[in-house]
Amino acid sequence: ASLPDRNMSEMESSLELTTSLPGSSLPPLRSRIFKIIVIGDSGVGKTCLTYRFCAGKFPEKTEATIGVDFREKVVEIDGEKIKIQLWDTAGQERFRKSMVQHYYRNVHAVVFVYDVTNASSFQSLPAWIEECKQHSLGVEVPRILVGNKCDLRDAVRVGTDLAQKFADSHSMPLFETSAKNPNDNDHVEAIFMTVAHKLKSQKPLVLSQPLGTESTVQLQQEHKSAWVCGC
Amino acid sequence: MKKGKKHQQNTGSQVTGNGTVKKQGEHESKKKQKLVEIHRALNSDPVDIETLRRAAVSEGGLVADEIRRKVWPKLLSVNVYNLPPRPGKDVRESHKDYNQVLLDVRRSMRRFPKGMRAEQREVLQEQLTDIILDVLKRNPQLHYYQGYHDIVVTFLLVVGERMAAAMVDTLSNHHLRDFMDPTMDSTKHILNYLMPILEEVDPELHDFMQRAEVGTIFALSWLITWYGHVLSDFRHVLRLYDFFLASHPLMAIYFAAVIVLYREKEVKSCDCDMASVHHLLSQIPQNLPYEELISTAQELFTRYPPVVLAKKAALQPRESITISSFKDFQMATLQQRPDTVLRQQLRDRASSDLAVPEEVAPAGTSQLVKMAVWGISATLGAAALAVAQTALDWAPEFLLQLF
Repeated sequence: ASLPDRNMSEMESSLELTTSLPGSSLPPLRSRIFKIIVIGDSGVGKTCLTYRFCAGKFPEKTEATIGVDFREKVVEIDGEKIKIQLWDTAGQERFRKSMVQHYYRNVHAVVFVYDVTNASSFQSLPAWIEECKQHSLGVEVPRILVGNKCDLRDAVRVGTDLAQKFADSHSMPLFETSAKNPNDNDHVEAIFMTVAHKLKSQKPLVLSQPLGTESTVQLQQEHKSAWVCGC
Repeated sequence: MKKGKKHQQNTGSQVTGNGTVKKQGEHESKKKQKLVEIHRALNSDPVDIETLRRAAVSEGGLVADEIRRKVWPKLLSVNVYNLPPRPGKDVRESHKDYNQVLLDVRRSMRRFPKGMRAEQREVLQEQLTDIILDVLKRNPQLHYYQGYHDIVVTFLLVVGERMAAAMVDTLSNHHLRDFMDPTMDSTKHILNYLMPILEEVDPELHDFMQRAEVGTIFALSWLITWYGHVLSDFRHVLRLYDFFLASHPLMAIYFAAVIVLYREKEVKSCDCDMASVHHLLSQIPQNLPYEELISTAQELFTRYPPVVLAKKAALQPRESITISSFKDFQMATLQQRPDTVLRQQLRDRASSDLAVPEEVAPAGTSQLVKMAVWGISATLGAAALAVAQTALDWAPEFLLQLF
C-alpha cells in the first residue's frame, strides 16, 4: 500500500539526513546494504509493517500497493552502519506473477506476512513459499514468518500453535505482532533487526553493491524456531 | 470582458501571481474562446470530435467539471441519454474479485475530497464497488487489477454513478484493455515502450538507467491508474484525464517518459543502482509543469510514434487489443449525434426508467449547483450534494457568463 506522498518524503528526507551526517570525518566507505523483500496476500499489512519499521509509527491511511514500493532505514549493529532496504510488494496475484520478479534479484532475506485474523492469508503461504523457490533463492537466504494484526485478539483465526507448526516445517522463525499496537513499539523494529543481525553474522564480507555473486556466503543452518515470540 | 480579482483566483495553475493584468485578460479571453468552441463542437451534427479532442489536450484542458461531464462521454462515444441501468448489488458476493475490490475501495479514502463527511464518502465508496463489479460482470473477459479503482473513482467523482459505469465500461474495453488481461504481460509490454523513448531523446539518461537496472516498475502505478494513484491534487488528475481521454492509449507511457526526462538531472546525479533510481523516480513530484509536459509528450508521440519505436527498439511483437482496436474506436467517435438529438431520441423511445437530465441553462450560482448535480443524477442525495459542492470549488465562475 502506498502512503501519502508528503509523509513519505518527510520520512525519507530525515533518513537521508541520518545517512549523510556521520560521513564527515570518516572515509567515504559505503554502508552495507541488506535488501529484504516483504511478501504476502493483499491487505495483510505489508505496507504498515515496513512503514512502522522505517518511520517508527503506524501510517494513518494506506492504500493498495501497486507494483513495488521501496523504504529504507539506516541502523547500527555492533558499531557498523547498515542500510536496510525494504521492498514492499503488491499482494494481488497478477502483480507478483509478472511484475515483482525483478525485485527478487539479489534479495538477502524474505519476510512472509499473513494476517492472524484472516485464515486465507495463512493458507496462501505455501504458494508464496513456492514463488520464492521459483525465483531460485538459495537456502542460505533467511526467511521469517510474520503474523500481523494480533492486536485484534477477538478476531484471531490463525492460532499460534498452527502457525508455529507451519513455521517449523519450513525452518522459519515465527513472529506474531501488530504494526498498529502502540505497546508493541519496539516489536516490529526487533523483528527486522533480528533479520539484520542474522544477515550480518552470515555475510561478513558482503560488499555494499553490487551483490551479484556471493561467494562468501557462509551456510549456517538456523536452528528451528529459535526466535519465537508472542505479542 | 471582465477581469475581476475573483477570476484571478479561479483560473488556477495557469496564472501565477506574476501575471500581468493584460496577460490575465488574454488568458480569460482565450478560455472563453475555448468554451465557445467546445459549445459549438458539442452542438454540431455529427459532434465535432476533433475540436473536442483539441480542446481537451490544449492548455488548461477541459477547464471545468461541467464541461467534462459534457465532453468526456463524447470522447468515449457514450450516449448519456441511453445509459445502462444502475449497477445492482446482486453480483457482489458471487464475484471472484469481490474481496479484492472491497479491500482496495475501503483503503481508497485519499481519493475523495478532503472535508467530505465520512457517511457521504461511504455512499460513494459503495457506488465505486458497484460500478467496478458491474463492469466486470458485464465483461467476463476483463480482470480486475489493483489500481483500476483509482481510475473508476475519478469518473465517479466527476460524472456520477451511472455515467461513470458506462464510460468505464468503454474505457476498459479499449484504453485499459491490455491492463485487464488475465496476466500483466501486456501491461509489461506497454511499459517496454518507456526506455526506447528515453533512448531517442536522451541516450545518456537511457544508458544510466540501463546500468542501474532500475526497470520500469516505478512507472507501473502511473500507467495503470493514469496517474490517479500518485497525484494528490485532484485537479492535476483531471487535467491528465482530459489529455489521455483525447489521445492514443499509449500516451500515458509517453507522459511517463516525459516525467523521467524532466527529472534528468536528478536521475543522473543519483547513485546508479536500482534502489536509488527506483526510489527517486517512484516519488513523483507534485508540482510538475503539467501543461509543458503535456505538449512535450504530444511532440514526442508525433516524432517517435509507437510503430517506429517498436521497430527501432526491436520490441517483442505482441498482440495488443488496446492498440489494435483503437482505430475502430476512433472511427466510432466520429459518428455521434449531439445531445439535443440524443435527448429527443430518448423521449421518442419514452423510456420512463431513465432519468432525463434537465436542460442546462444556468443564470446564477444556484443554477450552477444544479448544473454540478446534473451529471450525478438525483438518486444520490447527500453524497451528490457533497460532490456538487466540491465541483463548485473546482468550477471557475466565469462559466456563468457562458452558455
